[in-house]
Amino acid sequence: MKPATPASQPKTVFSPDIVISHEDIDRAHDREQVAATRARRGFLPRLRLLWLLVGPGILVMLGENDGPSMLSYAATGARFGIGFFIPFIVLTFAMACIVQEMTVRLGAATHRGHAELIFDRFGPFWGWFSMIDLMLGNFLTLVTEFIAIRAGLGFFGIRPAIAVLGALAVLSIALMTHRYWTWERIVLGAATFNLVFVPVALLTHPHWADVGRALLTWKPLPGGLTQETVLILLANIGATVTPWMLFFQQSAIADKGLTTRDIRFGRIDTALGAFLATIAALATLLATAPLFLHHMSAVNFEAAEFAQALQPLIGHWGAALFALGMFEAGMVAAITISTSSAYAFGEVAHRPHSLNLPFTQGKTFYLVLLLEATAAAGLVLIPGIPLVYIVLVVNVIAVLAMPPALLFLYMLVNDRDIMGDLVSPLWANLLALAVVVVLVAAGVLYGFSVIAPRTLALIGGR
Amino acid sequence: MEYHDDKPRKFGLSDARLAKAISSLEPDQIVSTKGQHHVPRRRLTRGEMLLFWGLRLYLVFMVGVVIYQIWNGVR
Repeated sequence: MKPATPASQPKTVFSPDIVISHEDIDRAHDREQVAATRARRGFLPRLRLLWLLVGPGILVMLGENDGPSMLSYAATGARFGIGFFIPFIVLTFAMACIVQEMTVRLGAATHRGHAELIFDRFGPFWGWFSMIDLMLGNFLTLVTEFIAIRAGLGFFGIRPAIAVLGALAVLSIALMTHRYWTWERIVLGAATFNLVFVPVALLTHPHWADVGRALLTWKPLPGGLTQETVLILLANIGATVTPWMLFFQQSAIADKGLTTRDIRFGRIDTALGAFLATIAALATLLATAPLFLHHMSAVNFEAAEFAQALQPLIGHWGAALFALGMFEAGMVAAITISTSSAYAFGEVAHRPHSLNLPFTQGKTFYLVLLLEATAAAGLVLIPGIPLVYIVLVVNVIAVLAMPPALLFLYMLVNDRDIMGDLVSPLWANLLALAVVVVLVAAGVLYGFSVIAPRTLALIGGR
Repeated sequence: MEYHDDKPRKFGLSDARLAKAISSLEPDQIVSTKGQHHVPRRRLTRGEMLLFWGLRLYLVFMVGVVIYQIWNGVR
């Protein structure tokens, strides 16, 4: 397939072979601000530079604290209490940082999205394959986001159809800005509500000594290593490390216009996002840990049931905050995940793909984004769909799909022809390899726990 | 980059202002330039192909395991 120059862009302003588009102008304005701020010295200009350059990292990390992820953390707290999973969640976010840092370098060095690089470097087959792979996974995940939205707003008595249609309207309004910068700030503002789980956790009066002990000892793990433990283990990994994050952050970095000079800030952005997301994830686990102490079964809980179960312990306002947090988690993720699909489709199909595009120039981009979100939202409204199973499956499939996705990332980030001196150093490669080993090991452990549960006994399980 | 004076206003900016704005972008950040200059194709070695397909088969197999678990759960 011969890639084409986007056809719907305005025609020549500069030399005949260079076409300046609306997208270029918007990005250029953003870069002018960055250059002007960088030229100034002092603490405040540095802070402003950070403000200008953060975004994709925080969005990807808080976006991944999505509906199924928060449900996984809530289920973990209710099933296992304070113990092994506290340091385990910290570890998974460290893994996410290692992986996402590679996308920062790739995006800043090549100014291209992940799907576009796979297409160009490894050929159309793998390009389309990865994109379709991503879109299928994203569609399933989007379904779970609308489940979280429906369940979160259901706590306030809002009907499912109104909740889902309202969420679609919010998603569309965010897109109407036709400006990456404005879109990013709106979604960042919404994503900060992920931290509402912190006051909910504080309302449960956690035993901080137990939290500290768990962090240091990785204990206790009530019930030991069972099939259920392995499933929760996988769901928690899938709650932090997933393929859409690779595609989204790299494409967002290219769309924002970050360059190699901005890599340090891209890393800070990613680490800051991981820090905030870890706090929110741990807060969710701590918030539902009292359910474990009260021996309440939460096996088939959706978000609203968790909020209702917590109400006697943390009061109506606490429960309402929990439900609001679930809605926010689903809403922000629905926006970021559908955007990652639209980026990937545009990059592989060689259609204009940027949040800086007016609708008339980026019809394909916006239509893919809206169609995928609408289809997922519609599915949630079909009566009798096994929603709890879908939530369970999504995080597990995310973990299983990561090793193939990471292989592309690993090869690209070590490709000197496109990365130059920015190829991964040895230590970064070793860390990336460790992440792959953990993911594959978790997948294999899960496989054995399902097919031959007795083998868990060989490694000290039950 | 050659500059054309026959179109004095574009995107609500004077040509001089437009040129200044565009100069803040790196050359391969301009969409049309990116469209003309693609990252060169690289052939995968046999080992890499094996690894790619091996991980794909792993994924397909594991998705089968997930479906089996759901089927068992539903039953």
